[in-house]
Amino acid sequence: MGKFKEAVEVIRGDLPFPAICGRVCFSPCEDACSRINIDQSVAIRSLKRLVADIEREQGKVTAKPIPKKYDEKIAIIGAGPAGLAAAYELAKLGYPVTVFERMPEPGGMMRYCIPDYRLEKFVVKNEIDYIQDLGVEIKTGVEFGKDITIDGLKKDGYKAIFIAIGAQLSAKLNIPGEDLEGVIHAVDFLRALALGKQPNIGERVAVIGGGNTAIDAARTAKRLGAKEVMILYRRSREEMPAHPWEIEMAEKDGVKFYFLVAPKRIIGKDGRVKAIECLRMRLSEPDETGRRRPIPIPFTEHQYEVDAVVPAIGQVIEASVLPPEIIGKNGLIEVNPITLETSIPGVFAGGDAVTGPASIIEAVGAGKRVALSIHRYLRGKSLEEEKIEETTWVKDWRSLEKKKRRYESPVEKPHLSFEEVRAYLERVQRAARFEALRCLGCGPCAECLMGIDLCVKDKAVVDEGKCVGCGLCTEICPFGAISKNENGVAQVNEELCKGCGTCAARCPKEAITMENISNDRILSAISNVLAGVV
Amino acid sequence: MEADPKIICFACNWAFPEWEIETPPDVGVIQVKCIGRLDPIIVLESFAQGMDGAIIVGCKSPDCHFIEGNLYGERTIRLLKKIMALAGLEPKRLHLELVSPIENKSLPSIVEKFIDEVKNLGSLFKGEEIDEEILFNIQAAKQAVVWSRLRMLSGRERKLTEKINVYGEKIRQEEFDRLVEEVIEEEYLRSKIYLLTKSKPASVEEISERIGVDSFLVLQHVVALRRKGLLGMDRIEGYTPLYRALEVG
Repeated sequence: MGKFKEAVEVIRGDLPFPAICGRVCFSPCEDACSRINIDQSVAIRSLKRLVADIEREQGKVTAKPIPKKYDEKIAIIGAGPAGLAAAYELAKLGYPVTVFERMPEPGGMMRYCIPDYRLEKFVVKNEIDYIQDLGVEIKTGVEFGKDITIDGLKKDGYKAIFIAIGAQLSAKLNIPGEDLEGVIHAVDFLRALALGKQPNIGERVAVIGGGNTAIDAARTAKRLGAKEVMILYRRSREEMPAHPWEIEMAEKDGVKFYFLVAPKRIIGKDGRVKAIECLRMRLSEPDETGRRRPIPIPFTEHQYEVDAVVPAIGQVIEASVLPPEIIGKNGLIEVNPITLETSIPGVFAGGDAVTGPASIIEAVGAGKRVALSIHRYLRGKSLEEEKIEETTWVKDWRSLEKKKRRYESPVEKPHLSFEEVRAYLERVQRAARFEALRCLGCGPCAECLMGIDLCVKDKAVVDEGKCVGCGLCTEICPFGAISKNENGVAQVNEELCKGCGTCAARCPKEAITMENISNDRILSAISNVLAGVV
Repeated sequence: MEADPKIICFACNWAFPEWEIETPPDVGVIQVKCIGRLDPIIVLESFAQGMDGAIIVGCKSPDCHFIEGNLYGERTIRLLKKIMALAGLEPKRLHLELVSPIENKSLPSIVEKFIDEVKNLGSLFKGEEIDEEILFNIQAAKQAVVWSRLRMLSGRERKLTEKINVYGEKIRQEEFDRLVEEVIEEEYLRSKIYLLTKSKPASVEEISERIGVDSFLVLQHVVALRRKGLLGMDRIEGYTPLYRALEVG
């Protein structure tokens, strides 16, 4: 229908970052897309990006401030995806919200650790501006633990506090030579670049680790002019936590991968990195968690001559700034799983600081849940009354990877520049419409309810008293959603049913009806139309 | 001057995403999820409510959003046309247009043409009221498509003619059409008998007179309906039994 603007509004109802997530999200929504059972998922992420970009091209997106309904001030520590999402939700509910951020610009990892070629800074800025337009106050350059404390904020009249500090510190390798010049941790490396500094990485760079951060660091190093960039990972390719498409892109950029190697020590000369010594590994049989552990093979030491070593083996939270009583056994903040409240009343936590390093969309989800919990807390409602619903994630997304639609055009010329990869969809709006038409309207991901009332989820319902078990519907259903149960009565598999109504229109005993768009509803629409038609 | 005919366009949600903008304003639009969703009852009831013609816009294979809902829809329309002919409604009042999103067909011109055609056929309404005879016929047709026999047969059409039946035989399309034709006629007659006796108990002779069918044929259907538990004997007047429709369920 070409309602691009309305589409963005629909997305924004739930997610304040359509343009950001449209670029860098790993799109678990597409894993859950029903269309994946037929051919390929709908390219939800690409469509999100397209509508957000079209909106932006039509001029700067601004929002009107939301009138304050409540007096209770809320402090959010950390302007990353979790903190901003919570601020967005709370502002929409009508609370005065202040977000405190240590860095000069808000955005957290989105702003500082995702390289430009994946996510340009102005995209992040635009979406944060939108949140500020709504009336959220963001104070940058304020350091938690130094400039502000929990007690101080409480004294200043903040009634609820959300700690969303993320996991900012890079995990140490704990091998000799880690303090040599030329060892720069991936998040520090990316952050330095985002702050406009030029880290000296030389010509040959070894990135250690197999996650998305490692890939980002390697591809960035390549773009900075390093001749040889290698990723050293102690397991094999299959075990890499990085997303497969990221790995592919890195390979296209010319990043080399060395699997089953682990660093043993970093060798320096005159205080600077000269080489890295590694051990070969082999994989154990899968342990009880199903993961194969790397085991060092003795006497396989070998060296790579490098100018810089970039460890990217995970991030940990800065526990030193937090009150020790809220830290759990695993070094992360411990919260009540239902209320997301820490052991200090009125202080909530969520995002990477609670889960360990994860994704933007998981942080947004955490932020939203915390916002709801804070709302209940401030309104004096029981926090434990009902659990805040959490989206279930498709666990085995790797197996579904091939069935996802990706619209990234093959990177042509600006292969190694910071110029953002242009999405194919952006140029081809018509293609986008047809892509959107592939949606089955089955409902779990979105019920936009725009314009036509056919976007609502519909499903076939069997009246067991009427069904005579003729089996016609089981033959008809294009999706194989209907089968007979042990009593010989038709039963509908709700996950497979797409609500097309082909069975309901043919059931010989009128035992199948559509839950939402029933015959009666269509007929009343018809009488309205007939009464109106001259 | 004759009033404009009342026309409804049943449009598949997916066939014409932007079609609303292009349709002439005097055509009512009902969007459906798929033309496979179109229950024949809905179309017939629309005629009973005063619709003069219906144009149904669906997707051409293989573009059906629900894989093969359009194929079922197509067969429903065929069935409807047959039963409309029996009921004295010109089958031309129903028009099926299958489009493909890549064709860029101009829907308005198709609709215009259809409107002209319906205009020539004239309105089903005489003044404010619909012709009673026609209304009765439509109700009978509706009853016929509610009963399971036709629905079962038409729903299985694709399986029987494209695949095989339970005996491993494939039925030729012509053979199947002939069978459907017979069944439609029977079911339509039975519906008429059923509806007639619903309002007032009647004898075979009376029914025969009222619907203009040979009394021997009426008797056969009365027997069939009694066997199905749809008709019962009300009372005997003299030597003539009077029959009455029974509520089902």
